[in-house]
Amino acid sequence: MANNYKLRDLKKRIDSAKSLNTPPSKKKKESGAGFGFKISTEIIAALVVGVGIGLIVDKYLGTKPFGLIIFFIFGAIAGFLNVYRVMRRIEKQ
Amino acid sequence: MAAKDSPLKQFEVIPYSKTEVANYDISFTNSSLSMVITVAVITLFLTLTVNPRSLVPTRMQLISELMYNFIAQLLSDTVGDNAKKYFPFVFSLFMFVLIGNMVGMIPYQFTFTSHIVVTFALASVVFIGVTILGFVNHGIKFFTFFYIPGVPFYMHPLLIPIEVISYLSRPISLSVRLFANMLAGHTLIKVFASFVVAMPFFTGALPLVFIVALTGLEILIAFLQAYVFAILTCLYINDAYHLH
Repeated sequence: MANNYKLRDLKKRIDSAKSLNTPPSKKKKESGAGFGFKISTEIIAALVVGVGIGLIVDKYLGTKPFGLIIFFIFGAIAGFLNVYRVMRRIEKQ
Repeated sequence: MAAKDSPLKQFEVIPYSKTEVANYDISFTNSSLSMVITVAVITLFLTLTVNPRSLVPTRMQLISELMYNFIAQLLSDTVGDNAKKYFPFVFSLFMFVLIGNMVGMIPYQFTFTSHIVVTFALASVVFIGVTILGFVNHGIKFFTFFYIPGVPFYMHPLLIPIEVISYLSRPISLSVRLFANMLAGHTLIKVFASFVVAMPFFTGALPLVFIVALTGLEILIAFLQAYVFAILTCLYINDAYHLH
């Protein structure tokens, strides 16, 4: 048990020493609000397009309300896909 | 629309003259004036500061060169080999949004980037341009952009609409991000400014301090949003070259 603590302590010390050696990343950390904003616009934009396509399909094919329902769901999934891509891009940086 | 002293009054478009061509209202408004000022500032600043072409640059020349390098670096990092061709476009776009935001920070000056019409028009230019670029580079094969390899065939009827919607949502997210940031920031400053007047005794100094801090934050956001606009344009150009 005591050994375990010692190991953990050592790891902590190594990590802190490492962080001292590596220069702090120049990338400014984004504020939480800015990040949330980025994510929400991605979802909203995809939903807007999905609903728009749904309404157009309904209008011209007369499939009210199924086009709206189906494309709303597609839009929601596309929104999550957008968010996933944004996240992956941030991870890469 | 906006009441007399509403925080939203600053976004009102006021036409200076009534001009109509074929039933389209093309009046010269305060929004147009703001854009003219922006373009004039960019042109004058860049030409005057770089004009001496001194080997040891002055401070102002250094600023111009920094901006040039900033976008050139951004482009070569994201697009790669074909970057040089798109530099004029991305640089103009970046400068227009950046200086437009900055000009909007001057009190009593209209902020044209706080209108979705303007930002959506800019985003549409990017979107349509990039789509045409994709077709020029890949021809009909550009449609494989929506086709994800390595997925069971019965999933494609589901995935292709999702990919198409995701692609079509690009100009909307691009424009909404810029427009909403500018709109929210400027409204917030105006709301706090009304607190300064409304609060009793000297407590009005508190929101005043806050406004100073907010103005600093707004200048940061003005730059950040122009940067985001430029980097996303670069990424979309890159997508038009490399499908997946």
